[in-house]
Amino acid sequence: MMTAGTITVSDLTIRFGDKTILDDINLQLPHGQWTCLVGPNGAGKTTLLKALLGTTAYSGSIQDRGTEVFKSHRRNIAFVPQSPAIPQGMSVGEYVALGRSKRDGWGKESQASRELIATILVQTSLYGMQKNFVSQLSGGEMQRALIARALAQEPDLILLDEPTSALDLHHQISVLNNIELLKERGVTIISTMHDITLAAMYAQNIVIMQRGKVLLSGSSQSVIHSPELKSAFDNRIDVFTLDSGRPVVIATKDQREDQAGNP
Amino acid sequence: MNNATGAAIARIWNWRITVSCAALLLVVAIAAVSFGPIHIGFAEVFKTLLNLPGGATGQGRTVILQLRLPRVVLGALVGAALATSGAVYQTVFHNPLADPYLLGAASGAGLGATIALTSTHHDVTALLPVFAFGGGILAVLTSFFVSGKFFAEPNTLLLSGIAVGSFATAIQTYLQQRHSNALRPVYSWILGDLTAASWSVVGWSAIYIAIALAILFAVAKQLDGLMLSDEEAFSLGINPNRLRILAVGAATLATATAVSASGLIGFVGIVVPHLVRGVTRRVTNRSLISIALVGAAFLVLADLGARTLLSPAELPIGVITAFVGAPFFLFVLRNRRRASH
Repeated sequence: MMTAGTITVSDLTIRFGDKTILDDINLQLPHGQWTCLVGPNGAGKTTLLKALLGTTAYSGSIQDRGTEVFKSHRRNIAFVPQSPAIPQGMSVGEYVALGRSKRDGWGKESQASRELIATILVQTSLYGMQKNFVSQLSGGEMQRALIARALAQEPDLILLDEPTSALDLHHQISVLNNIELLKERGVTIISTMHDITLAAMYAQNIVIMQRGKVLLSGSSQSVIHSPELKSAFDNRIDVFTLDSGRPVVIATKDQREDQAGNP
Repeated sequence: MNNATGAAIARIWNWRITVSCAALLLVVAIAAVSFGPIHIGFAEVFKTLLNLPGGATGQGRTVILQLRLPRVVLGALVGAALATSGAVYQTVFHNPLADPYLLGAASGAGLGATIALTSTHHDVTALLPVFAFGGGILAVLTSFFVSGKFFAEPNTLLLSGIAVGSFATAIQTYLQQRHSNALRPVYSWILGDLTAASWSVVGWSAIYIAIALAILFAVAKQLDGLMLSDEEAFSLGINPNRLRILAVGAATLATATAVSASGLIGFVGIVVPHLVRGVTRRVTNRSLISIALVGAAFLVLADLGARTLLSPAELPIGVITAFVGAPFFLFVLRNRRRASH
């Protein structure tokens, strides 16, 4: 059933050869909110992102505002990959300006776009680095350049694949705060993430995935306090609530062994 | 300096580079028409070309308009084609060492020409371009077919191009050995030369090369998208595979035409894009017009060297481009390695 204001995923199955990557997924992803896909490697999170983008063939249905995603070429979606290709010889300014290509046309940058890009470079702490080559950026700076390009795109929907992986905690917070800039503008955000505590801190909704299936989905609070969460992680986590009311999920390394020893 | 002023200056700087490249080509072209066994002054060449009073007459006019000018124009066309398609291959395949002879285009064209030269005792010079063109295109299509998934894995396509190229070269060598009488013309064609230049060759090459370059210049800005992952390119409004097929198709058309018209002339497609990028410090496909102009100037200059260094004998132009290109290439490679440390 298509609901206004949601991306509706129905009976979504994706197979590569004999291997089933996504198995009969049904989800409602609300527009204007941040939804985080959480799960281990191989859960199918990235494949789901690519299907939402419209670049992967699927059976079932993904409807965004009533249209199947692969049929809709007008959607303005920003995609932030986990490991981006680094274009040699391209400056940070040119890289961020690529985000305007869909709106202005390739190589045509309006005055308004140039002003917007300058503002975004300031917001993402890249101002002053626009002449540097992207190939010279550190991991954290590159991630910020990717977010800056996505901001320049002024998208309706942004898909981020592990935006904080390979970053230290300081840079993780900085990148997540940059993504929040998009949320404040009403952009729909769908990201994958390993860290469920960070996911609960920023996203309104969490989807827990494992081996191509959705185990749990709903608001961050309901998912993180759900009694089924621990079994979704093979009982290898503990959930604590801080004085501030924030939940913290901690991996418990010896849980399984303890249980095996004391049935 | 605000952002708008910076962008305006960058645009003017780009135009200055393009205009400088065009001026370089013009000077080199006039010099190439001027120098030779019969020396004709710059002013006289200029006046003859513009049909002004005081231009060359008689034999001098024939030398300029019927011998040297078509050769210079063909050299410029071939140089522009090879340099531009080299730059485009380097972008599409994410490989700075990719050159226009990838995907078996050159070997296929070589095989086509060898088949023409060895299959009959008649003079087939006029048909050589047709055979070379057919062989080149067939080899590229075979590379695509063998690689299976088209652009899903660019390296697979590169490897299948190398395999198809080697196979074509093997057949070509076999044919050469079987028909030793054709050894010399085949060898001479393989080394490349512009001696066959005439206005009719210039005419048909110009049509194909102009079409190919027009397509490549038109999509040059979008080629930026192919420097990203396919998902990013798609999100920025590009269909990556459609753009790759268009770009590789046009670059291969330019290469096959160049090979058909002038034989195998190496290194232009690698040296020129690197040289222009070194000066402009910009992404290769953002300087495509400058690359075409410098490629044209480079080959006209190389041909001038081929004509005059051992005059009255001629050196194959491929020898000149390799003689200049190979050390330059090693120099670039060494600098890149140093820069990466």
